[in-house]
Amino acid sequence: MTVIGDILRLLTTADLWQAALAASVLLLLPALGGVISERSGVVNIAMEGMMLTGAFFGVVADLAWQNVWLATLVAIVAGGAMALIHAVVSIRFRADQIVSGIAINIFAAGMTVFLVRRIYGVQDIGHVGPSELLPNLSIPVLDQIPFVGQVFFQQNVVVYIALFLLVLVQVVLFRTRLGLRIRAVGEHPHAADTAGINVYWIRYGAVITSGLLSGLAGAFLAIGISNTFVPNMTDGRGYIALAAMIFGKWTPLGAFLACLIFGLGEAIYANNSTIHVSQYLLSMLPYILVLVVLTGVIGRSNPPAADGIPYVPGAE
Amino acid sequence: MRQSQIRYLGLVAAALLLVAACGSTTGGTASPSAKVVKVGLVTDIGGLNDKSFNHLADVGLEKAKVDFHIQGDVTESHTGGDYIPNLTHYAQLNYDLVIGVGFLMQQAVGTVAGQFPTVKFAIIDGVGTDAKGNDLKLPNVVSLVFKEQDAGAMVGVIAGMMEKDKLTPGKTNVISAVGGVSIPPVNHYIAGYKWAATMEDPGIKVLVGYSNDFTDPAKCQSVAKAQIAAKSEVVFQVAGGCGLGALQAAGQAKLFSIGVDADQGTADPSVIASALKKVDVATYTAIQSVVNGTFQSGALTFSIVNGGAGYQLDNFPGGALPADIQTEVDSVMAKIKAGTLTPPDTIPAG
Repeated sequence: MTVIGDILRLLTTADLWQAALAASVLLLLPALGGVISERSGVVNIAMEGMMLTGAFFGVVADLAWQNVWLATLVAIVAGGAMALIHAVVSIRFRADQIVSGIAINIFAAGMTVFLVRRIYGVQDIGHVGPSELLPNLSIPVLDQIPFVGQVFFQQNVVVYIALFLLVLVQVVLFRTRLGLRIRAVGEHPHAADTAGINVYWIRYGAVITSGLLSGLAGAFLAIGISNTFVPNMTDGRGYIALAAMIFGKWTPLGAFLACLIFGLGEAIYANNSTIHVSQYLLSMLPYILVLVVLTGVIGRSNPPAADGIPYVPGAE
Repeated sequence: MRQSQIRYLGLVAAALLLVAACGSTTGGTASPSAKVVKVGLVTDIGGLNDKSFNHLADVGLEKAKVDFHIQGDVTESHTGGDYIPNLTHYAQLNYDLVIGVGFLMQQAVGTVAGQFPTVKFAIIDGVGTDAKGNDLKLPNVVSLVFKEQDAGAMVGVIAGMMEKDKLTPGKTNVISAVGGVSIPPVNHYIAGYKWAATMEDPGIKVLVGYSNDFTDPAKCQSVAKAQIAAKSEVVFQVAGGCGLGALQAAGQAKLFSIGVDADQGTADPSVIASALKKVDVATYTAIQSVVNGTFQSGALTFSIVNGGAGYQLDNFPGGALPADIQTEVDSVMAKIKAGTLTPPDTIPAG
């Protein structure tokens, strides 16, 4: 039982929670995007592709202009541009949203590899690495609080932004008129339309916002954490974010809780040099946790009623 | 209406896949002439830009192109499912030698080499196997294998001596290694590293962790950070592109790191040395054997003895090894060459 002892000891270290929070934020941003998009009634499984696109263009822009903030902006816009494709295909052309999402994920994987070759030849762009990185910021005074200071106030700047966005999205979705409209469009678009809400514009806005958030996550991954672009570096994080969104019952706070569990699992796994148990077993941990919680605690989770159904005016 | 749109989307996706696939074939397709030896190189999923063994295999091929005036073509694999089609492509075109890069391609090389008995194959880091991993010992396959433990031992001596001489900031007497996946080529390096460090400094603690990944730098970075939190002061990465994250983690903590396979001195300022596996030498040697008509199936082993493994000093503080460490490194290398010291190929316990 030394394994459990090792893990319990780890759970008391601020290092672990600091790493867990950073890892969960990487999932939280695309998960928030997913929540917004699906709340408006557009299924979005393309966060993976949007994130990868953001990561790639973030590195390209960083190398070109040596300005990390400009690069982050480019990454966000690149994610948004991929989302625009998804929006046009699924809202304007009413195509199957799952198919469109898969197409975007495959397209992003192929395009980034192709462009790496085109722009940088066979040289390793990851090896060149971006010239400037998103900084880690310690909040003065607050970072001196024992434990809590290290976990919450010695983080990358994106972590603070993401936590702010988490609160913002939660408040906007459930406490404002705009949020009510988004949810109305996702639950009952015909009624919303009758009430004078422009279903199309709300959905376009929601889908594009999901791309902007995923693009920011890509920037965090490539020029905040990894400091490099490697083909397929998102490594399924967009899909895990999707799972977190469902796990969190399509609410921002719920999704954050799920991301924390995944992030904590990743952080514990990273300690496999000091926990003496099969690393494969350790890597299953977060997923087992989620299965247990899903079946035992959370219960049924229902998507928004009009999720995935293209809106055709008057076709009820 | 809706149906046709879905079909249209499917077509777009297929077209994009095709573009991605075509974009990955590099190298010319010169018109075949009677005397030119043709060599096809198939990378594993790491791709040519891994700054590691796929890259080095290509370096060996390029050198052979210049020296022997052969035709050399490269195809990159993006998924494990690409191995067999990519190898078959060159075999069908009757290439003289088809090279598969990496342990991950063992079964694919075994399968394709069995189907094309007249084509010669070489596999780096492995043998041609059947579905169960048994060596098929095919007469047209040569295995290019490395004693990675030799290279691991050289950097292990450096890391061990640094702790022993108290050249690290914290003098914690702890060092570590981040492996990709726990497979033989990775563990050979770590075995040599741990063995040599413990030999130089019996009190040293060597942490060994795995990222379960060869491409995602964030994963290796978090494993390395956890090791640094557990007091490691020298981090040896054995995880390809993923390992770049481990080098950066050491750099951010103002500690030291060690690169792998190729010279990784430019990857991060913290890289004091790199353990070298000279895949370029191996690839070149295999091509040479085909050009000279001396090709033999079986295994060719590359180690310190024949210059196929070694180390490269990178950003060591002060630019050179201190005299006592240099003496020790040279002495261990001489002993391995002479056969009086043999680094183990499994990670020592403890």
